[in-house]
Amino acid sequence: MSLTEGFEPKIIAFCCNWCTYTGADLAGLNRMKYPENVHVARVPCSGRVNPQFILRAFQKGCDGVMVCGCHPGDCHYSTGNYFTRRRFMLMKRMLEYNGIDPGRFHARWISGSEAAKFRDTVAEVSERLRKLGPNTKYREALREGADAGKGGAGI
Amino acid sequence: MSDRQEKMRQSAEKLLRDGEVGYVIGWGATRFCDRTTPVFIDSPEGAASLVWNEHAVNSLAKYLLDDKYPDKKIGLFARGCESRAVNRMIKDNQVKRESLYLIGVPCDGKSSDRCRLCRERNPLVYDVLLWEPEANAAPADRFERVRGVEAMSPDERYRYWGGVYDRCIRCYACRNACPVCSCRECYVDMGRTGFQGKQHSRSDNQIFGVTRAFHVGDRCIECGECERACPMGLPIMGQTQKMLKEINELSGEYECGLDADSDSFLGRFDLDDKDEFM
Ligand code: SF4
Ligand code: FES
Repeated sequence: MSLTEGFEPKIIAFCCNWCTYTGADLAGLNRMKYPENVHVARVPCSGRVNPQFILRAFQKGCDGVMVCGCHPGDCHYSTGNYFTRRRFMLMKRMLEYNGIDPGRFHARWISGSEAAKFRDTVAEVSERLRKLGPNTKYREALREGADAGKGGAGI
Repeated sequence: MSDRQEKMRQSAEKLLRDGEVGYVIGWGATRFCDRTTPVFIDSPEGAASLVWNEHAVNSLAKYLLDDKYPDKKIGLFARGCESRAVNRMIKDNQVKRESLYLIGVPCDGKSSDRCRLCRERNPLVYDVLLWEPEANAAPADRFERVRGVEAMSPDERYRYWGGVYDRCIRCYACRNACPVCSCRECYVDMGRTGFQGKQHSRSDNQIFGVTRAFHVGDRCIECGECERACPMGLPIMGQTQKMLKEINELSGEYECGLDADSDSFLGRFDLDDKDEFM
C-alpha cells in the first residue's frame, strides 16, 4: 500500500489556554467546520512549549506541528510569548537545517476571539500537509523501513 | 616555551604556598609525548608537574562546575577560551568571580583542530597575566561548514545529519566537555520523563543532536571542546554554529563570553523582535 493513498495528515496543535484554546472553543461554539486532522493539546502558555515537544511529535508520528498562543503583548503571563517567538524563530530554522520541510511546522498568534483564524489556519496547514504527504523524517515507527540505513553522507 | 612553563609553575607554587587558592587547575604530562591531561595541584610541591606545550589542548573551565562552592579560591590557568567560558558561567550564575583566581596565560597556539575557530588567544578576564599578550591568528571562516550544509537540498540535509548521528554512540562526551552545559541534571539522564528516547536509533540520536544544540547553541563560546571530546569525530559544531549564525542574522553581531554581562539570546527578548508568526 502506498503511503500517500487516502492520506490524512495528523497534526498536533499546542494551544495556549488563554487565547488559542479559547479561540478553538469559540470556533466550536459557532459551529465552524475545520478539518478533524488537528489534535489540540492545551498548554498554560505558548511559552510552555519545549522545542523538544516538536521533535518528539514528529518522532511519534505527527505529520505537522503547530504552536499557537496569544498575540505579542497579550500573553496572560505578560512576556511568555515573547520568549516563544525567539525560541521558535530559531527552532523553525533548525528544523529546516536538519531537513524537515518548512511546511511541517507552524507557529501562529491566534486570540480568543479569532475563531475564524483558527479555522483557516488549521485548514491551510492540513491542506499543505496533504500535499506534502506523510512525514517520515525523525519518525520512530518507520525507522526499520523507509528510512533506516540510507545515511552515511560523507563527514 | 619552557620559560613560560617555569613562570606557570612558579606562580602556582606561590599561590598555593601563600594559601591564596585551595588548588590550581592546569595541565600535566601523560605517558604519551603528544598528550597532556588536566591536573589539580593542591600542594606547592605539586606545581613542578605543571606542563605547557602545544599539546595542552583541553579547556579547563568545565571543571569549575564540579566545585561551585569552594572553601578557598580556585586557581585556574586561563587562555582566551577558558576566560570566555568563565564569563559565560558567571553570567549563567554557575560560578562566582570572587571564588576564582585566574592566571592569565596568552595562548601560543595548540595542536588541536578545535582551535580553528579561535579568535581570542588572550584571556579577556584575569587576575594576573604571566606574559605578554599574543597576536591573534586569523580564524577559519566561522560559518563555512554551516553554509556547506545549507547548500544541500532538504532531503540531503536530512541524510547528512542522519549519517552523522547514525555514528553517534550517545556517550555524551560532548555534553560533559561543554563549558556552558551546566544543568545539575541533564534531560538525557532523566529516563522516565519521556523527553528523550534512550535507544541507539537514528531517530533518537538525531533528536538528541538537535536538542543538545538547542540547549547550548545560544550560549556557545565556540571553543570546540564538544568536537574534540567526541570519540566518533562527529562534526557536531555544525549544529551549534547554525544557531549562532541565525542569531547573528536575527539580532545582529552575536558572540558569547566576551564579557560577563551579556544575556544569552534565548534568555531575553525585545519587544520589536522580528515576527513571522502573525
Ligand atoms: S560525543 Fe560524539 S558520540 Fe558521544 S554523544 Fe556526543 S556526538 Fe555522540
Ligand atoms: S498565555 Fe497565551 S501565550 Fe502566554
